[in-house]
This record gives sequence, structure tokens and C-alpha cells, in this order.
Amino acid sequence: MGGESVVKAVVRRTLGILAALVATLWSPLGPRTAFASHTEVDTTLDAQSYVAPSPYGNPVVRRRRFTHTLGLGYFDILDDQTASGPQLSLVARMRLDADFGQSSAERSPNRLDRYSPGLEEAPFDLMYAYVDARRYAGGWLGGRLGRQYQSDVLGWWSFDGALLRITTPAYLRLEGYGGFEQRGGLPLASTPRFSGDGVYRGEREGLDVNQWPSYLDESRLAPAYGVAVESHSVDWMHARVSYRQVINRDRVLATTLFDTQADPEMVDEDRVSTERVGASVILMEPDLGSVTGRAVYDLYNQVLSEHAAGLSWNLNERVTLSLEYDYFMPTFDGDSIFNWFTHRGMTTWLGRGSWRLARRVDLSTSAGVRQFHSEGDPDEHAEQLAQSTATDLNRSQTGTVTDVLGSAALRYGWGPGSVLVNGRGEGGGSGHSLGGDVTARQRFAGGYFDTLAIVSLYDWHNALRAGRDATSFGYVLGGGISPAEQTRLGVEWEHDMNRLVGQRFRVLGTVTVRTSR
Amino acid sequence: MMTRLSNTALLAVTCALALVLGVWWSPAWARNTPGGGQTSGPDAPPVVHGLAPLPGGTRVPLGDRPPGARKSEGGPSSVIFPQQKLTIRHNHRLHVKQLGMACLECHRRAATSRRSSDRLLPSPATCDRCHGTRHGNLVAVQPDATKLIGQCGYCHRGYRPENGNRVARTLLPRPHLRFNHAVHHDRNIRCAQCHGMVDNLELATLDQLPRMRGCLRCHGMALPARGRAHKECTTCHLTQRGALLDTELGGKHLLPPRWLRDAAHDADWGERHRKVAGNDSAFCSNCHSEKSCSDCHDGRVRPRKVHSNDWLSLHPIAARQSNPRCSSCHHQQSFCVGCHQRTGVALSGPYGNFTDRGRFHPPKSVWTDPPRSAGHHGWEAERNLAACVSCHVERDCVRCHATAARGGPGAGPGGGFGQRTSPHPAGFRSRCRIALRKNARPCLVCHDPADPNLGACQ
Repeated sequence: MGGESVVKAVVRRTLGILAALVATLWSPLGPRTAFASHTEVDTTLDAQSYVAPSPYGNPVVRRRRFTHTLGLGYFDILDDQTASGPQLSLVARMRLDADFGQSSAERSPNRLDRYSPGLEEAPFDLMYAYVDARRYAGGWLGGRLGRQYQSDVLGWWSFDGALLRITTPAYLRLEGYGGFEQRGGLPLASTPRFSGDGVYRGEREGLDVNQWPSYLDESRLAPAYGVAVESHSVDWMHARVSYRQVINRDRVLATTLFDTQADPEMVDEDRVSTERVGASVILMEPDLGSVTGRAVYDLYNQVLSEHAAGLSWNLNERVTLSLEYDYFMPTFDGDSIFNWFTHRGMTTWLGRGSWRLARRVDLSTSAGVRQFHSEGDPDEHAEQLAQSTATDLNRSQTGTVTDVLGSAALRYGWGPGSVLVNGRGEGGGSGHSLGGDVTARQRFAGGYFDTLAIVSLYDWHNALRAGRDATSFGYVLGGGISPAEQTRLGVEWEHDMNRLVGQRFRVLGTVTVRTSR
Repeated sequence: MMTRLSNTALLAVTCALALVLGVWWSPAWARNTPGGGQTSGPDAPPVVHGLAPLPGGTRVPLGDRPPGARKSEGGPSSVIFPQQKLTIRHNHRLHVKQLGMACLECHRRAATSRRSSDRLLPSPATCDRCHGTRHGNLVAVQPDATKLIGQCGYCHRGYRPENGNRVARTLLPRPHLRFNHAVHHDRNIRCAQCHGMVDNLELATLDQLPRMRGCLRCHGMALPARGRAHKECTTCHLTQRGALLDTELGGKHLLPPRWLRDAAHDADWGERHRKVAGNDSAFCSNCHSEKSCSDCHDGRVRPRKVHSNDWLSLHPIAARQSNPRCSSCHHQQSFCVGCHQRTGVALSGPYGNFTDRGRFHPPKSVWTDPPRSAGHHGWEAERNLAACVSCHVERDCVRCHATAARGGPGAGPGGGFGQRTSPHPAGFRSRCRIALRKNARPCLVCHDPADPNLGACQ
């Protein structure tokens, strides 16, 4: 890693930690001046410690995580309090995810026996930061500028750029956006979400080419744009059609086994990362129920990667019955070879019932099947091989593995407390997992004290991995105090026990502060 | 004449005496009467009118309830309309149907009220006009002892003469919504269009307050018919910062009703919310900002509703069974692969050489070696490729599947196929042209640019 990169990393990390600390100190102690508009700062600090041993016994990954999120909001900047007047807001959220349990050897390119490319001790992530304008031009215009999320049938995704929304009087809302896909965020819950990546999209800047043999080159800005049309002001229906394209412009390695060749081959032209079009619709009749539908076509892979439908029947004010169908086939970044490996999707059929048994008690249950498909029938093919009649895979046949799944959740809530009994199970040819939790929460003294207790029992069996089945019992005990409104200090103790790990412990401390004026 | 006067006076005295006795001496049956046992005399039947919408708590016919009310519902939202304490006995049917009074004669301020917090009950002075009472000075209210309807206990439930001037307080908490009665009145919206047929009922209770479904009969109409009845949730619902709905109201949590967009936040909402949000995230954003999403999805703390028990041991089977759920938070090639490499559960990485550590997958003869048996890894990859990608990087697969020119075994015809096993699906040829044009990089990982198989796609 070059000296300049080290300096940049140190500066960035230091700034992140300083911003977090300053905000934490400022939020509860800062001056309180009355503003017509509304500002808000919320921050959460968590410290937790646990170990994740390898299933082989070693290595043991020790985690001493310190995570900190900081949210800033400046709302109603125009101070127009009318329900349909223009609104301007500014929001931002950032996150620091430090793991002080890491060994420095894991981040050292000189220790190939321990080196884990891309691992950082305290990465800082700007999750979103944008200006939001709504209901301008008599309600016709709205938009966002900055790093923002986009959530629709194409998934939960985020980008840096601008979005413009035009609400026409003809029941249609038009949306267009453009910018750059957010990449290089934290590996957990950064973007893109709800879609497999298939290639590493992290920060590789400063690493020499021989230090990341399994990965792609450094990230460059990835232009992205999209358009959407959706209905509005139609009481019985909502529909949205959405299209998005993201372009890869990185200079990437094409020959991953380049260590066997003299010159690794690179690709650097503009090319498709993702290109999808999707549509979703919901038809509603409050006295009866709803019908939903959803489909996504991947234009790069040229497959219908997702389709789903649901029928929901409101039997009365207390009971809803529904039937859902869902097909999902993973697709990946256009740079990934995994797109072109034979794979099929999984189909899930689910029946669901939801009952409000009493004012404070509700029950939801579901049961169904999930089917995994393969191109060719494994049993048939194996039999043909045994008889020496198979010359090639018979792709016209389809093999199906079926899992049965079900869940039940019963919730009883009273003013200051609740109990949730949650059970779920899935089993079939690949193994099974079956278990449940009982979660109880109670607040005391008008919410000054709160307590948490969870008891959990699970049993699982993985048909692919002999000896890794277990029955596990665990419990969590926690409590907290709220010395001021929107402020909470809490601790949790978790203890799980099963034959695979013996005893596993986790300790968690949380401080949450939110202030607004 | 004198006789008639004497008889009238005697009757009045008797009635007054009976009233005093009745108030002083409350038999058990009177105490059990709803509302504290108002009676018109010791021997008179208990007062049953004006204590409930219908005498004896009879169920109100659906047609008389507010528009949008349903048989099996328990009344309007208790979050929007907090519990009331009604201490006045009142018979709307009597006043409207028998006495011919209009709603606005008593509820005059309803015609001009612009805020839901306005008190729209008639002032006591309004009652005085007919009841003969004098409420001008509330610390010294004067009943009309000559009339039954002028007695304090006639209207004020639970009243005792020894209470003097004190009556039980009526508690009508302000509803948690915006409402402009004047706008509706000016547009000729009749009271019954929101409150139901109160003129068929006696006491108006919480049940006579509007239902959201009733509001949407106008506010949910298509644009031209809707006129000025705005459809936005914020038209009626209280808001907090950034025009989000205020969902914490009076210590209760405002949730969408079951019939609204299939979005009831039931006990299994954690499992279901993705579908609703995917269909119409703008609907969710009425109440939620991104913070609501990131509170669970930011990876700060493991959400136990999703990752219960010893999740580190349990997650492999969960990933095999329902992998799409994993990618809602986790990046396979960084989060999953990164941790798997650190713990030695990966083919690549610092612990990639696992010869002396035992295999993760079934034996090589079954899992990878040809011929392709029923337990071969190819089948598992076809069923759930995303699970493979959470441990394996491209290089792991390319080692065997690449052509010889790209460093693979290349045992196929002309060094074309790695291990004679094309990983491509059926119908690949018909798709490869577009794929190659849009992004050639994955092709070049396994195929040399001069590969005739690649040329066939150009």
C-alpha cells in the first residue's frame, strides 16, 4: 500500500471517529434554541464482544466490535406547515464499524498466511445524505439530490446523484434518476442489496496487483440511470414499471488464473453491470382483499429472474387469508462469470393466515413448499451413467428438490410490554431447521426501565455436511434505562449452547441518544 | 281552580319528594343500572335511555353506524380517538326525531370549527334553554326543581344531591388527527356522512366517530371526483419531522389497518414487509424514513428476530434453504466470503490449503470428480448458486471450468472445454451474442479471444 493511501486511510478513519464523538457529545449537551424548522440528531453506539471459531476449531476469529451510527436531519426547512405545501429536508446517516478484535496480520499483505484482502479495522461509511424536495410547483414536482436509496421491484439499491419526480394530474407519476451506483460501502448492508454481487466491489485502491489475485481491480465510478412510471391517486390499484441500467467502467482483470501466464489480460471498456426492467402491481378492494403481482426481467442475462403473485382475502376485520407464489433466480453483476453458470431459481408456494384473536393478541401462520430446480434430473442421470447409456446430460428433464416450510407467530401486547412466540421450520432433501423463540419485553416506571428476555430452541441437520447437525438452546437477558426522552443505555447478555460450540457468549452494550429541536 | 292548583302543587311536591328519596335511597337494581342508576323515582323503572347508543346496550345496526364501519370491528381506531369518559346522559333520537332539533342547534360550533381539538359539545347554556337549568355560573348551577328534566341527576350520570354543585367530569381527549369541520360543512357534507345515523341513536359514543374507510369514500376517489378532498395521508394524520406521519400517539403506536394495501403489521410482518415495500415503497414512506430501514439493516447489531439462537452455527442451513433473504443485507463476495476466508471455510484465502483439515463438502469422488453422480456439486450449484457464491470466488470455479488457454484443464475438444464440462445452461448459444456485446469480461475469464466457441457468439 502506498504512503499516500495510508495517509488517506488514517485521515478518513480519524475524521469518522471524530465526527462520531463530536456528534455524541454535542447532541445531548448542545444549546437549545427554538427554530421554526426542525433539526434532529440521533446516534447509537454499540460495543459487543464474541468469538467466531472456525468449524475446524481454528482459526478463532475474535470480534470486539464498536459500531456507531450517526443520523442528522434538518426538516421542514421552508417552514410551510400546510399539509400540501412544498417541503424541503436534508438528511444524512453515517456509520463506523470498527472491529478491534482483528489481528494486524489479517490486514498485512506481507502475511499471506493470514492476509484477508479488503479487511479494514474501522471502515467509515456514508449510508445516505441527500436533500429532499417535495410538492413543488403545486405538488407536481419533487426530487432528491445526493446519496440516496431507491426501493422498488428492482430491489433496494442506492446511488449518488439526482432524482426528479413529476406527478401529473393524469394518475401517473414519472420518475427519472441518474448518477453513480454506490459502491465500496461496508460489506454488510451497503449496496446493492437484494441482488447477488458475484464480484468483489470493495475498495482496492493502493493494493498492488499481486495482492488481490482473486479480485477485480480498483473501483471506478459506475454510471447509473433509471426511469419509472407509476400510478398515483387511484384508490383501487397501484402499479409501477421501472427500468435501470448500471455501467461498469473499472479496469478489471479478465484472467483470474493469470499467475500461469505472462501478462494478465485486462478489460477496461464500458460494459453493462446490471440492466433490468420490472413491474409490480397491487389491486385492492378493502372489503375483499388484494391481488399482487411482480416480475423482473434481466436484460443482460435475458431471463425472467423474478416473478411473484399473491392473493389476499380479508375474511373480516380480524382474519386475512392469503396465498403467495414466488420465483427467484439469482443474477449477478455483469462482470461475474456466475451469471453464465447453469442455475435455476427457487419457487415458493405459501399459504398464510393472520388472525387478530383479541384486541391485544394476534396470530400469523404460514405453510408451504419451496422447490429447487436443476437442469437435468440428478437421479435419472446417475442411473444412466451406471448403465453406461449416458453420453451427455439430458437437459430436457428437470430435477426438483422440495422443502416443506412453515411458521407461526403469536403476539400478545399490552401497554408497556409484549410477548412474542415465534416458531419456524423448513425441511426436505437438503436437511432441516426447526425451532422457535419466546421473546418478552417489559417497561417499568413509565418507561424508565426496560427489560428483555429471550429463550430459544433450535434443531438442524445439514444433509451436505455430516456431523454438523445439532440441537441448540440459547437465552438472552437484557435491560436498559432511559434517563431522558429518546435516550437509552442498555446491556444484553446472550448465551447459546450446543454440541458444536459448547458454550457461546456475547455481551452487548448500547447507548442511544436522539435529540431534536 | 284552587282544587286544580292544589292538585298540581301536590303532584309537584310528591314528584320532588320522590326524586329526593329516589336519589337518597338507591336500591340495588338502580345501582346496577349503567351510568350510576338514574331513576325517576323509587318506584319508577330505571332510566335506560340516553346511557348508550341504544337502550340496554343493544347492538347498533350496521346501517346506523358511521360509513366504513364493519360488523366485526371494535370501533374506530383507539390510537386516533383515545378512550372517552362520558358522564352525560343524552338521547339524540329524542332531540332530533321527537323534538325536531337539527344537529347544529346544539353543536353550533361544528359549522365553523377548523381544528380537531375544538370542543364541539353544546355549552351548558344551550341546554338551559329547554331544560330550565341555569349553568351561567358553573360553581353555582341552579337546577329547575319543578321539572324532572331540570334536575342535575337527569343528565349528569352518577349525580347525588349531596354532591352539591359537583358533577363527574366528561373526558373527551382531543383526537390525534387534523380535521376541519368548517370545510366539510361548507361543502354540504352532512353530519351523517361521517358520523352515521346518530338521529336513530341515543347516546353518541366513540362508535359514532368516523372510520378511515369512510373518509376514503371521498378522499380516496379518483382525481376529478375527489375535488379538494386531498388524498395524502397528511391531510388528516398528524405529522412529525419531514412530513412523516406521527405514529407514536398518546403512548400507543399507529399501525395500518388490515384492509389497507395488505400492510397490516402482524406478528410476521418482519417476514412480509419486503414484498409490500417492493410493490410500493412510497406507501411505506408515509410513516417511515430510511432510518426505519437502516435501524435493522445496518448491521449494527444482529437482529434476533431474523437471526435467532446460535446463528453462527445455524446460518449454513438457512443460507441453503432461503438464500435470497441473505442478500437483503449481506454482500456475498465481501461480507460472506471475507468471513469465510478468515475462518478457513473457503477454497481461496489464507487457509485455502485445507488438505490436513478435512473437507467442507462431501468427498471429492462424489462432489467434484467425473462422472457426474447424483451428489455432484453441479446439481447443488444449479439449485442454489447464490449459496456457492457466498463462499467461492470466480477463481475457484475457473480452475476447472476454464479452457486451457485461460489456465484451466482444457481437456475438451480442441482444448475448448474445461474437464469436458461446459457450465453453461441449455439455450446459452441463443443468449451469448447479446451477453458478449453487453459485457465481454465474463466470457474472457474462461475463453481466449481466439477461441472458436467465443467466435460463434460474435
